[in-house]
Amino acid sequence: MIHAEPTEMTRLAQGQGFLSLRGLTRRYDHFTAVDDLNLDVAKGELVAFLGPSGCGKTTSLRMIAGLVPASSGHIVVDGRDLTGVAPYKRDMGLVFQSYALFPHMDIARNVAFGLEMRKVPKAEAAQRVKEAIAMVRLTGREHHRPAQLSGGQQQRVALARALVVRPSILLLDEPLSNLDAKLRDEMRTEIRDIQKRLGITAIFVTHDQMEALTICDKVVVMNHGRLEQVGTPHEIYEHPKTAFVAGFVGRINRLPGRASGGVAQVAGITVSAPGFDGPVDVMVRPHRMILSTGPVPADAGLHQLSGTVTRATFAGDILEYEVEAAGTLLKTEASTRGGEALLAPGTPVTLSWRPQDTFVYPAS
Amino acid sequence: MTSLALSHTEPRRLGPLGTASALLLPIAVVNAIGFLWPVVNLLKMSFREAQASGALGAGYNLDTWTNALTDSFTLELITNSVGVSLLITVLTLIASYPIALYLHRSTGTWRTVLMVLVVAPLLTSAVVRTYGWIAILSDRGLVANALMALGMAEPPRLMFNLTGVVIGLTEILMPYMILALLSGFGRLDPRLEEAALTLGASPLKTFWRVVLPLTAPGMALGGLLCFVLAISSFVTPKLLGGGRVFLLATEIYDQAIVTLNWPLAAALSMIVLVVFGISLTLYARALRRIA
Amino acid sequence: MNAAYKFGTLCLLAAGLMAGPAAAETNLTVMAYSGLFQERYTKAVIEPFMKAHPDIKVTFFPLPSSAAMLGNLRAQKAAPQADVVIMDVSVSKAGTDEGLFTKIDETNIPNVKDLYPNARIPSVAGVGVTFDNLVLLYNAEQVKEAPKSWMEMAKAPYKGKVVIPGVPDIQGLGLVLILNKANGGTDYLANVDKGLAAVAEIAPNVQTWEPKPEVYAPIITGQAALGVGYNARAQVNSEQSGGKIKATIPQEGTIFQINTINLVAGAPAADAAKTFVNYALSPEAQKSFTETMFYAPTNSKAEITGAALDRTAVKNLDKVMSVDWIALAQVRDKIAEQWRRRVLPASR
Repeated sequence: MIHAEPTEMTRLAQGQGFLSLRGLTRRYDHFTAVDDLNLDVAKGELVAFLGPSGCGKTTSLRMIAGLVPASSGHIVVDGRDLTGVAPYKRDMGLVFQSYALFPHMDIARNVAFGLEMRKVPKAEAAQRVKEAIAMVRLTGREHHRPAQLSGGQQQRVALARALVVRPSILLLDEPLSNLDAKLRDEMRTEIRDIQKRLGITAIFVTHDQMEALTICDKVVVMNHGRLEQVGTPHEIYEHPKTAFVAGFVGRINRLPGRASGGVAQVAGITVSAPGFDGPVDVMVRPHRMILSTGPVPADAGLHQLSGTVTRATFAGDILEYEVEAAGTLLKTEASTRGGEALLAPGTPVTLSWRPQDTFVYPAS
Repeated sequence: MTSLALSHTEPRRLGPLGTASALLLPIAVVNAIGFLWPVVNLLKMSFREAQASGALGAGYNLDTWTNALTDSFTLELITNSVGVSLLITVLTLIASYPIALYLHRSTGTWRTVLMVLVVAPLLTSAVVRTYGWIAILSDRGLVANALMALGMAEPPRLMFNLTGVVIGLTEILMPYMILALLSGFGRLDPRLEEAALTLGASPLKTFWRVVLPLTAPGMALGGLLCFVLAISSFVTPKLLGGGRVFLLATEIYDQAIVTLNWPLAAALSMIVLVVFGISLTLYARALRRIA
Repeated sequence: MNAAYKFGTLCLLAAGLMAGPAAAETNLTVMAYSGLFQERYTKAVIEPFMKAHPDIKVTFFPLPSSAAMLGNLRAQKAAPQADVVIMDVSVSKAGTDEGLFTKIDETNIPNVKDLYPNARIPSVAGVGVTFDNLVLLYNAEQVKEAPKSWMEMAKAPYKGKVVIPGVPDIQGLGLVLILNKANGGTDYLANVDKGLAAVAEIAPNVQTWEPKPEVYAPIITGQAALGVGYNARAQVNSEQSGGKIKATIPQEGTIFQINTINLVAGAPAADAAKTFVNYALSPEAQKSFTETMFYAPTNSKAEITGAALDRTAVKNLDKVMSVDWIALAQVRDKIAEQWRRRVLPASR
C-alpha cells in the first residue's frame, strides 16, 4: 500500500504538525457529524476541541483514537498515516468522561493493563506503574477497587492508566464534566501540569469555554461538524472570526444594524465595517462596555449609547446591569473595586466602549 | 379511653428494619405455604412405610432411605444427573453467550425484535418443543436426511439416547440462559472495551480480559439457573431419552407414577433438593470470588 | 353478633341452593382413564345407564393413569369425591391395602356371580371389569404378513424399527414374562433370566423404550414397524387409521391385563355406585363395551357378536398365560434392576 501511493504519502508527510488531520469527515445516514476537518497540532501542544454538544468534537476525537472509522480524510501522526489502523495499534492514550476504569481490577492492575498488552517486562512495568500512580498522587491506593475511590481519584487513575504507556497523543474526552466545581479546577491544573511536564501532545474535548481558554495552547471551536476557528485562547476571545465563536466563547451583546460603504449604522452611531454591505450584527462583550452616569468626553474616541438601567444585580465582585438602549437590552457590568453602590433601575446611563472592542458580522 | 386516644394520635412507627420485614412478610408467607410446607410433607412421605404392592403403610420407617442410600443405582442416578446437567449447562452457556452479547449491544426496534425471538420459545411448553426436536432428530428427520444427502450411509442415532436429551434440553434452556446473561451484563459498559482497545488490547484480548470477567456474574447466574432446571426436568429426558437415560427426575417420575413407590420418589426428591442446596452454595461462593 | 348472624343465614342459603337439585337426582362420579377410554366408555356404558336410571347423573372424571387415580384417592381419603374407580388391578391392590375401597362380592353386587373366575381376585376389593391382552403390533405397509413370533422383533430388517414400552411398564414386563415361559422358564417369581435374555436379543433393534404418548402412533406413521401394546387400543387405532396398524397374538402366547372396577370407601353416593357397578358388570354393558372397544368381557354371560369377538382374546384363551400381578409386584423392583443391567446395555 505504501509503495503504491508514494505521492499521497509525500503529500501527507508535508503536514506541518505532529498530528495532522486532513479533510477528516464522518457521515452518518442522515447527517454529517464531522465535515472536512483540517488541523495541525504541534508536538507538545495541548489543544482544546470546543463546541456545544453535537458539534462533532467527540466524534473527531474518537476518529483520532480509531474508535469511529473516518468516512473520508486522513489522520497522520508523526508522518505515519493512521487512518485505517486498528485502535489497539494506534498508541493513543484515551481518558473518558466516565473514567471507564475496569471495575474488576484494582488500581495497580488498571494502570498496568496497557503495559501488559505491550508485553513490557514485569520489573519495568511494576516500576512504571508505581511512578504513574505517584504522579497522580495515589500512592497507597494501589490495591483499592475503582468503586472505592472518589470521582476525582478515579479520573486521576484514568489519567495514569492512559499515560503510563507513554502514548504518542493523549486524548481527553470531557474529562472534568463528571466532577464538582472545586475538584474540576484542581484537576484542570493537574492535567495541565502533568501534560507540560511530560511534554506530551494532547487533545482536550470540552464544551466549557473556561476550561478551553484557561489550560490550552490552542483552541479549536467547532459547530455543526465544521471548524469555526482555530487559534490561541487570546485570538479566539479577542478576535472571534464568526458570530458563533463570539457568542460561544465569552458573553456577548448583539445590536442589529446596517452596513454600506465601509461603515455600519447601529442605534444611531456609526461603527467601522469594512467590506460589509447590508444587514449586520454588531457585537460587544458586556464587560468591555463602560457604564457611566455622567457625560463622556466626546474626544475620548469611544462609541457611546444612552440608555436606562432596567435591572441591577449585586454579585459581590461585580455589579451586573441590564440596560435598555436604542430598543435593545444590553448587558454590562461594573467593578466594585472602589466600593461603588448599585444603581437603581430607571437611572439614565451612558454606555461607552473602544472601537477595537466592536465586532461586526453579517446578520444571522 | 386515654390509651385509645393515644394510639390514634401516635400511630405505631416501624423502624427501617421493621418496614423491610413488613414488606417481606407476604413473600415469606407465600414461600412458607408454597415451598416449605410441601418440602416438609415430602420429607415426611420419604419416611412412610412402602409396601411392595405400592400401598402406603400407616407407619414410618427408615427402610426407603437405607435402601436408597445403599443402592449403587441411586449413586448412578446422582452422578448421571449432575454430569448430564453440567454438560447441558456448559453447552447452553456456549450457545447462548454470543446471542446474549449481540442482543446486549443491539438497540431500538431490532433489539425488541430479537428479544421477542429469544423469549418466544418460552411461550410454548417444553413438551411441544420436544416434539419439534423429535421431528428434527428422528431417523427420518431433518438432520438424518441432511447427513444422508451428504453421503453418510448410516447417520448416528441422534435421539432416544443421551445425545437427544442433551440437544433438546440445551435448546429448551437457552432462553433462560440468555435472559440470565443479559441481566448480568449490566456492568458491561462499551466504554470499558474501548478503553481496553486504546490501551493496546486486541479485540480477542479485550474479550478475555474485560468482557468475560465483567459478564462472569451473569454466567454464574445463568449456570445456576440452567443447572437447576436441567436436573429437575423430566419431560424432555422422558421423550428424547428413549428409556436409555436414567436421571433423578425421570426416576422420581417412574417411582411416583409407574411403580407407585411414593416414599422412594420423595426420598429421591429430597436428594435433588440437597443437590440444589449444594449448587446454590457453590454459586454464592463463585459470586463472592468474582465480585 | 350481627355479622355472625348474617354469615349463618348465608350458609343456610348456600346449603339450600346446593341441596335443591340433589333432591331430584343423585350425582355419581366415575373415575377412569382419559382419552379413547373415556370417549368409548361414555358411549357404550354410561349413556345407556343414565337412560335406564334417570335419577342418577354420572360424571366421568378422567385421569391419564391408574397411578394418578390412586394419587387422587389418597388425597381425598378423608372426604372422597369419586364413587367408582376403574383402574389396573395392581394399583387397585395398593388401594385395597390402604383401605380405600369397599369389598365387592355377590352380596352387594349380584352380577359378580356370573364373572369368570380370573376376574375375581381374592386380595383385591374390586372385580375385573375388562380383560385386555398384550399384542404384537405391526405396520401393515412394512410388515406384509402377521408375524408368527414375538422374536420377529429381533430380526435384522427391523433394526431401529421396534418400539416397546420398557420395564417398569406392564407391557415390557409382560413381554419378559411371555418370553420367559416360551424359553422354558418356570417360576417367574423366582427368576425371569430366560425372558430377559430373549428381550436382550430384541434390544439392539429397539428405537425407544419410552414411546410417547403411546406405542401406537409411531407404528401408524411408519416411524416404527413393530411394537408391543394392548389389544383394545390397537384395535381402535387400527380402525381409526384405516388399517395402518395391525395386531396379532404370536405363537408364544400373551398375558392378560385386568382393569378392575372399585367402590370407593365412604363415597358420597354409595348406593348409586353399587347400582352402576352392577350395571357395568352386566352382560348387556359388557357386550356393548366389548363391541365398542374390544376389551374382552369379564362376564361369562355376555354374548359378543362374531366380528367383535374375533378382535378380542376370547377365542385364544388357550394362549393366555396366567399372571399373578399381585405376587409379581413383590419382585418388580428386582426385575427392573436386572432389566437395566441386562437388557438396556444391549440396546445402546
